[in-house]
Amino acid sequence: MKFRDVAAFEARMLPDSRRTRVLWSVSLALNISLLLLPFIFKFDGKPHADWQQFLGRFHPLAVHLPIGLLVLLPILEVMGGSRHSLREAAEFVLGLCFACCLGAAALGYLLAFGSGDAGAGVTRHMWGGIALTFCVLFCVLARRAWLAGDAPWVYPGLLASVLVLLTWTADQGGALTHGSNYLTQYMPASIKRLTGLGAAGRAPSAGSFYVRHIDTVFETNCVACHGEGKVKGGLRLDSYDALMKGGKDGAVIVAGQPDKSLLVVRVTLPTDHKQFMPAEGKPPLRPEEINWLKAWIEQGASPTATQLAGVFIREEMPDLPLQPVGDYSAFMDDIHRMAEGQGAKLVSVSSKPADGLILNTVDVAASFGDTQLAQFNKYAPFIVEAELGRAAVTDASFATLSRFTHLRSLHLEGTAVTGDGLEKLASLSQLSYINLSSTRVTKAAAAQLDSLKSLRHVYLYNTPAQPESAGNLVQPVARNTP
Amino acid sequence: MGLPIPAGLKQEWAALETRRQFLGRSGKVLGWAAAATLLGSRGLTGDAHATDSTGRQSSQDELRMPQFAPKAKRAIYLFMSGGPPQMDLLDYKPNLAALYDKDIPDSVRGSQQLTGMTAGQARFPIAPSHWAFQRYGQSETWVSDLLPNTARMVDELTIIKSTNTEAINHEPAIMLMNTGNMNAGKPCLGAWLAYGLGSMNDNLPTFMVLQTKTNPKENNQPVSSRLWSSGFLSSEYAGVGLRSGGDPVLFLSDPDGVDREVRRKMLDAVEQINLQTLAEMGDPETNARIAQYEMAFRMQASVPELTDLSKEPQSTWDLYGPDAKEPGTFAYNCLLARRMAERGVRFTQIYKRGWDVHADVTGLLPVLCQEVDRACYALVTDLKRRGLLDDTLVVWAGEFGRTVYSQGGLSKENYGRDHHPRCYTTWMAGGGVRRGITYGETDDYSYNVVKDPVTVRDFNATILHCLGIDHNKLTYKFQGLDQKLTGPVPANIVPGLLA
Repeated sequence: MKFRDVAAFEARMLPDSRRTRVLWSVSLALNISLLLLPFIFKFDGKPHADWQQFLGRFHPLAVHLPIGLLVLLPILEVMGGSRHSLREAAEFVLGLCFACCLGAAALGYLLAFGSGDAGAGVTRHMWGGIALTFCVLFCVLARRAWLAGDAPWVYPGLLASVLVLLTWTADQGGALTHGSNYLTQYMPASIKRLTGLGAAGRAPSAGSFYVRHIDTVFETNCVACHGEGKVKGGLRLDSYDALMKGGKDGAVIVAGQPDKSLLVVRVTLPTDHKQFMPAEGKPPLRPEEINWLKAWIEQGASPTATQLAGVFIREEMPDLPLQPVGDYSAFMDDIHRMAEGQGAKLVSVSSKPADGLILNTVDVAASFGDTQLAQFNKYAPFIVEAELGRAAVTDASFATLSRFTHLRSLHLEGTAVTGDGLEKLASLSQLSYINLSSTRVTKAAAAQLDSLKSLRHVYLYNTPAQPESAGNLVQPVARNTP
Repeated sequence: MGLPIPAGLKQEWAALETRRQFLGRSGKVLGWAAAATLLGSRGLTGDAHATDSTGRQSSQDELRMPQFAPKAKRAIYLFMSGGPPQMDLLDYKPNLAALYDKDIPDSVRGSQQLTGMTAGQARFPIAPSHWAFQRYGQSETWVSDLLPNTARMVDELTIIKSTNTEAINHEPAIMLMNTGNMNAGKPCLGAWLAYGLGSMNDNLPTFMVLQTKTNPKENNQPVSSRLWSSGFLSSEYAGVGLRSGGDPVLFLSDPDGVDREVRRKMLDAVEQINLQTLAEMGDPETNARIAQYEMAFRMQASVPELTDLSKEPQSTWDLYGPDAKEPGTFAYNCLLARRMAERGVRFTQIYKRGWDVHADVTGLLPVLCQEVDRACYALVTDLKRRGLLDDTLVVWAGEFGRTVYSQGGLSKENYGRDHHPRCYTTWMAGGGVRRGITYGETDDYSYNVVKDPVTVRDFNATILHCLGIDHNKLTYKFQGLDQKLTGPVPANIVPGLLA
């Protein structure tokens, strides 16, 4: 911008200019009307006009523009210390930011009101957005004072709080679209423990059929839209009481009559039906899940019954989805050389490189010790399975293994390990299988495995930790005569 | 003028012929240089077939691994040769008791052609099972009193009641189950797996076969090495059998005065001679022979360790029972199969003969089941407690089922059963399959499949899938076709069986 233009621009924005005064009053008026909207048109949980939803669905798109600008702003201000033109641009960016905030907030309101969304999460996100527009407006005021040299800390302070508020509001919004555990689902276990976020609990082994299965089905398929955060159609499925209370169309469960239960009706419609649930192209319930639902309702929809006649569900934690390993093409020559020779090998899990490598030592197990394992350090992040059964490794190897960040399965059966140092593996967020059979692992050492939250399969056969296992398995099961 | 021959095939012939003839005539003169040039490095390492003249076959290096991340890394196949009677074991038919000695309705039997053994019978009287059935496990599966141990593990099993085949006599049926074709000459499942997945342990064969000692009381049908042949695949993929009595591998220990080093030198010399032959003839089978000599050398060390059961804990013997101490029994073979699984053998097949119960069912089945039932349970349980069942697929199957009507005389005490291809019961357990389910249904006479049929092709395609192989992609060019285990007729993976 030429200097003359900048001067003219600044002149236009001066508070005493008439144009600026008009601009100011319009901005303030619009912002206040945004504030009043939720009081006039209250969220009633019912869908409204289609055009509102049509426009509203541009909210997730439009909302990213002010976010980008707001993040840009402090960068411009800081860099502007040495490059004056940037600080001049900041004025314009801030103004634009306000306009975009206002637009995005209005669209967001249309989205929630139009589609009949309600719920604590929606409300929080809405108030966050409205507060944000006000803060940005105040920033415009405070910046002027800041430039003039008055109140040097107000604008930077306000800007910082805008960023904090922005982060919180954006997180609320993200939880609405992706579900509240979206960010923490694949967080490494070590960070989870550090932050206490997204506790990766094991499947409840006790509890009623409702808690173990029905609630789980809702949790994975329904609660994103029928939960605390968002309450579509006035229906919440995140607790037994809420489920039985139903939604705006009344009860969704009729105990004893699955075919008359609205919930069953909606999930069994043809998938292209307008009223089919889960809506918006989300994956339908699996046939067995629908069967559980029907059987549970048929047999009284009890919150406490632990078993249902005719329903046999294997209680298992699903395997974790495979996480792709990084690019190891630089090591391919090494890997081929190992494959040709006699010795430990790195073998591909499949023809897809991202599936990772298996460390195979069975050919040389007797001579494969801690030092040999340490030589595989450089391949550590690409190894998903370490087959060290009957190898000469000891407890000293846990330190090396703790660097195998993508390790999913660890075979240590028949080795000399005692389990001392097992807790070093706690950082392995994908380790789901560990085999310590026929080792000297004790009960105390095995207790360290509790810190490995992703573990699904633990084998301690023929160890001091599990001396009785064989006996348990050969117990005959109860007989039912025909 | 004759059948049109595809241009690609002609080229392939031409290339083969030139290579063989040229080397045969001038091999001694040109020697190594010619071989190296003409065959390329791949030819010299025994993969001559991998890239043909048209370059259509993908390189074998790519093939020697699963095509996608597999659930099972290895498989153990318990082959019940002779055809176990499904309605006496796992396919419970409560209505049959009331139909004792009644003729099977024509509508059920339809126009089916029977075997020569019963086609001449005047009557086809229904023979209900001599044994009671009870329900077991959380899956509430009906199991015959003949299988008290199998009953304890029903929640681990994937029982398939709707397996069906096209062959009604032993040899074609057993060939079809194992090689996907009734005629001999095709590679068997184990050879395809060895070819497609490669070895996990260089010191042991990828594919091993254990035959169970025959019981003279039983009606034993022959089992031949055609069943573990590699067919047109290189013979290094064929199954390696362990003997059921005496030394597991003959002449495995070196004779007096020959130590490891002398043996090594001898093998090196033999290899040189073989390489000369290869240069002269260009036959990839020479390479297979070299590889087999090397394998035998390594097996001299690995097999004694494999078959040394002295370090097995007492809990092993408690589980498998006293039979397992006697080499050649089914229980011993099951224990050996577990040890092979631990040591990275990709595919182990155990043959148990004697299920061909044309007569004296009530006399023979208790003997057969006593040999098999506890060992099967022990194998699955042992794999499970040792953490191997997660990535090992166990398959239990025969070549066909047996008829509900009696062959020969029917009395309250005894009956016989003829071959029956239309339905038979098999089971799987472990990596990749859904536990605790029964798949498919048969009619009230256990005669026809009424729900979810599983053909032999589907059965084999599903096994390959569990091991990370798309049955349509594991192919080998031979006789102008992309040959595969499931044959040219479309085969389908059975999703209902998969975990």
